[in-house]
Amino acid sequence: MSLPKMKTTEPLTMPHPPTGSWVSRLVWNFRHHPKRELWFAWWVMVIFYQLYGVLFFFVTRVQPPPSPAWDTPTVVRWFDDHGFGILAGFGVVFLVAGMCAPMNALLAYSMRRMSVSRLFAYSYLIIYSLAAVPGMLVMAIAMTVGALRPERDPEIIQWLYDFAFLSFSGTMGVFLIGSLVWMVAILLDKNRVFPKWFGYLNLCNALTEVVVAPAWMFQRGAFAWNGAIAWWINMVVFVLYTGVFLTLLRRMIQREDFGIGPLPNLPGKHVAVLSDSVGAAS
Amino acid sequence: MTNLADTGSRPQQLDEKPRKFVPGQPDMWMFVLFESLLFTGYFSVYLVSRTQNESLYLQSQTDLDLRNGVFNTIALLLSSWAIARCVQASREGAYRSALINAFMTISFGLVFLVSKVFEWVKQIHMGNTFTSNEFFQHYFFLTSIHCIHLLIGFIVLGIVVYQLWSPARRSQQLVETCATYWHTVDFLWVLIFALLYVVR
Amino acid sequence: MSTKFNKRLLVVWLILTSMTLAYVWMDHTADHNGTLRASTVVTVSAIVIALIKVRIIFREFMEVRHAPALLCRLTDAWVVLIGVCLLGSYFVGSAVAG
Repeated sequence: MSLPKMKTTEPLTMPHPPTGSWVSRLVWNFRHHPKRELWFAWWVMVIFYQLYGVLFFFVTRVQPPPSPAWDTPTVVRWFDDHGFGILAGFGVVFLVAGMCAPMNALLAYSMRRMSVSRLFAYSYLIIYSLAAVPGMLVMAIAMTVGALRPERDPEIIQWLYDFAFLSFSGTMGVFLIGSLVWMVAILLDKNRVFPKWFGYLNLCNALTEVVVAPAWMFQRGAFAWNGAIAWWINMVVFVLYTGVFLTLLRRMIQREDFGIGPLPNLPGKHVAVLSDSVGAAS
Repeated sequence: MTNLADTGSRPQQLDEKPRKFVPGQPDMWMFVLFESLLFTGYFSVYLVSRTQNESLYLQSQTDLDLRNGVFNTIALLLSSWAIARCVQASREGAYRSALINAFMTISFGLVFLVSKVFEWVKQIHMGNTFTSNEFFQHYFFLTSIHCIHLLIGFIVLGIVVYQLWSPARRSQQLVETCATYWHTVDFLWVLIFALLYVVR
Repeated sequence: MSTKFNKRLLVVWLILTSMTLAYVWMDHTADHNGTLRASTVVTVSAIVIALIKVRIIFREFMEVRHAPALLCRLTDAWVVLIGVCLLGSYFVGSAVAG
């Protein structure tokens, strides 16, 4: 399949929506707005993250994670307490898992818009398509299997418990590499799609993912899967990072002109300090 | 607040009031401040868990050699000094001197790295590993994550050398940005050294 | 002029190094016959000295001295913030441990 040609460097002129009732404007936007796919993907992303938060923290209550140091009877009791929430919550997760697709597509799109090689966008897309498996689905499957039959052998339930939490926390390598790919793309980019500080924030995020790796080795302490360092500090950085990139993606879509040169600034915004990209001449 | 184009490319006259400028990209400063907060979080966790188990931590600390820590700190302070000189030389257009200083920075960084690896090997031979006890969990964690920053620092210094090498590049802002990163590696170590080796 | 800057940097480095060596002295006086003892004084001094070094690195090596007021104040605030977090963690932790 041949790649779609990028549009010329002429910026797109926005066609005007009709004035009238909000219904007619909505329908017009749905049918004619040039950025409708981008906005759709962005809203899917926002809704997905809200859902993810609600489902993991409040419905299933698997986050914040319980302790790896618990003995088998405690773990079985935990499954009993959380059983219905787990089944209901993860049931919804299975339904909405597909929302990851437009999300990752939007992120890859942001890299396509940059001046760097398309390789970055494609690598990111591949990495993150796989990331949903350990990042979400394996835990969902293990937990629902554990909750389905409460009368199961307790040793097996403990096994499922360890399997779920270790796969969730310990497989950060995928996200780490993805963050680094995005970071390098941002720092090399000459189209100013994202500010350079966001590239550096990707590095911070990537490093906190390295910090989770010791979770494989500890059953208690700051580095266990529920530890102060491996989980709590990590989660603060991740939530901040997610909030930041949601905002920056929104700004990118607003600025998008479907050209191939530097992305124009939003009207009324001051011109950002010109930061050289790595290979620049002074 | 920030100058838009070349920052500080004109050498300052002695009688002129020094121009205010942000060294390097403001973006890098945001990273520096954020990263130091993150490390402060890790340090706080270490200090709190230390107070809960003082005797274990004191006992384990006897295995650490303060002189090693001092040597490491001085090596990094030398590297910071060298990159600061590099930035000033580059600002004045003395690119040969700047390059020499950049290579000196890399050398001191390597001295630190080698010394650290030797220290880890020595600790492991003494039976102290990442999973030995709480103190050594924190010791290996903090020194390793710092080392990762150091390794990234070598890439960053590589960018400095790359920029200074050819007259076609030589972006002062980029050199300053990279120097800012390297100084962060240094001051983070200053804190780590105090907390792991000196604090009782 | 460049020698003026170079000398300043060297002096700064000497100050930082002597502060580092001060730790060795602290270590000697604090530990009696090779055994380590817990000491609030040593802990607090170690942290404070480290923070002073960090501020010197900010102002001299990282050239915050020549930076606009915002960056000066921000880095100073950061040094204070780190100090508060570290000392706070130590004292709160000690109080909790009883």
